Amino acid sequence: MFDVLPDRVPWFLAGPALGLLIVGLFVLANQPLGASGAYVQTTGFLRKRDGVVMWRVFYFVGMFIGGLLVTQVLRTSGGDIRSGYDALRADFPLALVIPMVFAGATLLGYGAAVAGGCTSGHGMCGTAQRSPASVAVTATFMTTAIITTFALGLVVKAVA
Amino acid sequence: MSRLARQKNNTLNAVGLLFGILFGAVLAGARLHEYDTIHNMLSFEEYDVFLFMASAIAVSAPLLWLLERKGFTTPLGGQFSLSRSKPEAHHIKGGAIFGIGWAIAGTCPAPALVMVSSGAMLGLVAIPGIFLGLHLRERQVMSALTAGDGEHRILEKV
Repeated sequence: MFDVLPDRVPWFLAGPALGLLIVGLFVLANQPLGASGAYVQTTGFLRKRDGVVMWRVFYFVGMFIGGLLVTQVLRTSGGDIRSGYDALRADFPLALVIPMVFAGATLLGYGAAVAGGCTSGHGMCGTAQRSPASVAVTATFMTTAIITTFALGLVVKAVA
Repeated sequence: MSRLARQKNNTLNAVGLLFGILFGAVLAGARLHEYDTIHNMLSFEEYDVFLFMASAIAVSAPLLWLLERKGFTTPLGGQFSLSRSKPEAHHIKGGAIFGIGWAIAGTCPAPALVMVSSGAMLGLVAIPGIFLGLHLRERQVMSALTAGDGEHRILEKV
């Protein structure tokens, strides 16, 4: 509609902006800008559990709206409506990509629950708070993610 | 609930919505919702996401440190306080599993939502997967999860 954003906002603008958001939420509400907690609270909300932290549900919806604003309103050129899995789909058929994405997402949901946080909660907010546990989580998931990526690459090469 | 408490709750919900929108917008702006972006980082073809994360921490960590030294009461969440904890086995185990899933799915909880709003329908495969993973953990520990934001504190009831 307006198409004011570049195809990709460079890291040196997006990164510090995210840093300021992290600080902002701590200053206003003394809370980390995490994401898996929002899934946890949204689960609780959908299941009508007691003690749901309601603002995390609003926050969950907000992330979706924010993405919508950027990809459908502020940046409409550059083919924003993509499958989003171009590289993966170049290597695997869709019938394999769907179960892969589902299995990967299940692993990351389970892992985030065991570790008590994900890329944002531990990776960003935890390390920004200088927490040794968050640094350990971040170093661990970075390592296994890189190993997994290279292992997948080897599989693709062997099959091709 | 008193009128004041209700007001505070409404404000907090509005702040939650606003920060969700801004967070989603930043992720979408930097294209973190695309598998290719994450995959290119993890295969060292591109360093943008590493630099994105590092610069976010480089901005927030010193500011949080300064604010912690200063000490003040936040308008919505009581006394400003950071939390730190020692690494335990579950951190390593959970982190290891999370990393494998991150590399395979090429997304994590926040970008998965943006993936759907960008029109990438495979996001609709990823999000139920994340919910299933959380659910499996609940079944395992046999109690509802309450936290999940890293160094986390449950907001006391206002």
